[in-house]
Amino acid sequence: MINFNRVFAMVIRDFLNLRHVPDRLADMFYWPIVDLLLWGLVGLYFAQKNSNFPYAVPVILTGLVFWIAIWRGQFEININLLSEIWDKNLVNILASPLKPIEWMLSFLIFGGIKMLISLAFSAFMAFLLYHFNIFIYGFSIIPFMLSLLITGWAVGFFVAGFLIYFGQRIQTIAWSAVFLIIPFSAPYYSVSTLPPWAQIISKAIPSSYVFEGLRQILFTGNYSSDKLFISFGLNFVYLILSVWFFMFMFEKSRKLGLGRLI
Amino acid sequence: MKDTILEVKNLTKQFGDFLAVDNISFSLKAGEILGFLGPNGAGKTTTIQMLLGVTGPTAGEIFYFNKEFKKNREEILRQINFSSTYISLPWLLTVSESLEVFARLYEINDRKKRIKKLLSEFEIEHLIKKQFHMLSAGEKTRVLLVKAFLNYPKILLLDEPTASLDPDIAIKIREFIKKERREYNVSVLLTSHNMSEVEDMCDRVLVLNHGKIIEEGTPEMLARRVSDCRMELTIPKNLERATSIFEENKLTFERDRMRFKITLDEKKVAEILMSLAKARVNYDDISIDKPDLEDYFLKIVREKND
Repeated sequence: MINFNRVFAMVIRDFLNLRHVPDRLADMFYWPIVDLLLWGLVGLYFAQKNSNFPYAVPVILTGLVFWIAIWRGQFEININLLSEIWDKNLVNILASPLKPIEWMLSFLIFGGIKMLISLAFSAFMAFLLYHFNIFIYGFSIIPFMLSLLITGWAVGFFVAGFLIYFGQRIQTIAWSAVFLIIPFSAPYYSVSTLPPWAQIISKAIPSSYVFEGLRQILFTGNYSSDKLFISFGLNFVYLILSVWFFMFMFEKSRKLGLGRLI
Repeated sequence: MKDTILEVKNLTKQFGDFLAVDNISFSLKAGEILGFLGPNGAGKTTTIQMLLGVTGPTAGEIFYFNKEFKKNREEILRQINFSSTYISLPWLLTVSESLEVFARLYEINDRKKRIKKLLSEFEIEHLIKKQFHMLSAGEKTRVLLVKAFLNYPKILLLDEPTASLDPDIAIKIREFIKKERREYNVSVLLTSHNMSEVEDMCDRVLVLNHGKIIEEGTPEMLARRVSDCRMELTIPKNLERATSIFEENKLTFERDRMRFKITLDEKKVAEILMSLAKARVNYDDISIDKPDLEDYFLKIVREKND
């Protein structure tokens, strides 16, 4: 049985941390605005040089704004886990009645809220800077966004599995791991642009179907439920595997002593 | 007969080739304060971490309140708590924020009241708005102890509870723990390097060395295992005669002018004093220090190093 009082306690803990750590507030707004300025302007430049492709700016901005869902989903799981290690608070948490599943759920809730804030801010800035309206995708943005968020969670739990075992020694993966799937997710270009070997990998990445689906809506106005179903199907499998992997590594780490990570 | 509320059976922890805890069994009764004594690396902290469930045992069983820990983890952890010098609370959260989070984790109904009462008991109400990283080592230890008492625990596991505290505060905390035991029948398992603390607080002591329990008893019983005592004599005349008596009896002694410091078996004290009297060697001043738990601990450490 999940105890939601304890889940809520951990969500509060993460929010309190957010209040005291300006870095954590900044990453909700700073990186999205830097990306929007840099890549939005690149898109504008290409659109001006090549009038045959008027979609340059929307394609890039779609990729940027929607990528936030994956990035935040993954990042929040890993950074909140690392926070407990940095603060030497891990043993306090794990020697309390909190269950690992409740801890994981708190990551998802807190990450989901931060993702919504970050996303709303980016969407607003994209509209302000480039008159790009994310709602051109209609209500389909909800399932597409959800699918990307689940991809982020799956990557997050997979990375968390390594962090709970190896600790701070490999903490860089908390920031870098998700970037491994960017090229195969094809957020700014079509999957067909990729070399054949990369296309095979891309087929196994749920986010590639989401970005393909979004571009299809952008170019043709048609909503592709097939792509969405495939992405959810793959996400379902990966999320289960990544949660299992995290629990497996958690138990392996417990055998060695979780106290060694502090 | 008091109830056993913690029972450990054949607990073993092996890290690769290193046997950190070697098949230990012990129990803790309701309202009992049990001390864990032993040199560094004896297996005390590993045992406590297994009792908290953050380290998995290689073999053995742990029962709290007659329930298997492995199968009733959540229910048991609600009723116990711990404090250790090796851990911390979130560095940037204020004392009140951290304690509020833990009070919620332990589902304390009267959170604010409980936190206020404990902060007052530990004389740290003034720290409530301070961030944890801004506190002194002693203040941090006291905040961690407040966290440990938050959930009205039936069992407390304390790893070096008064380390880094000023002596007057350490005494107050010891008194608080003893009061909690008296009033609420709280059981405590504590490790400490402060022998006077162990002597003062513990009903029973387990001595660990190389992961094994090598002795068990009251602090007084263990101290009695060390038979050597220290005798100091001030001898104004016949110093050479006195020296030869000590040498004939093969005693270890130091001489500083008229003052002799002699280490000898407690049983030989009367015999030596008799020999001095027969030889007409008079002494002006005499002091005899009986062995205490510290002597016992030093003996264990020496044996470990040998």
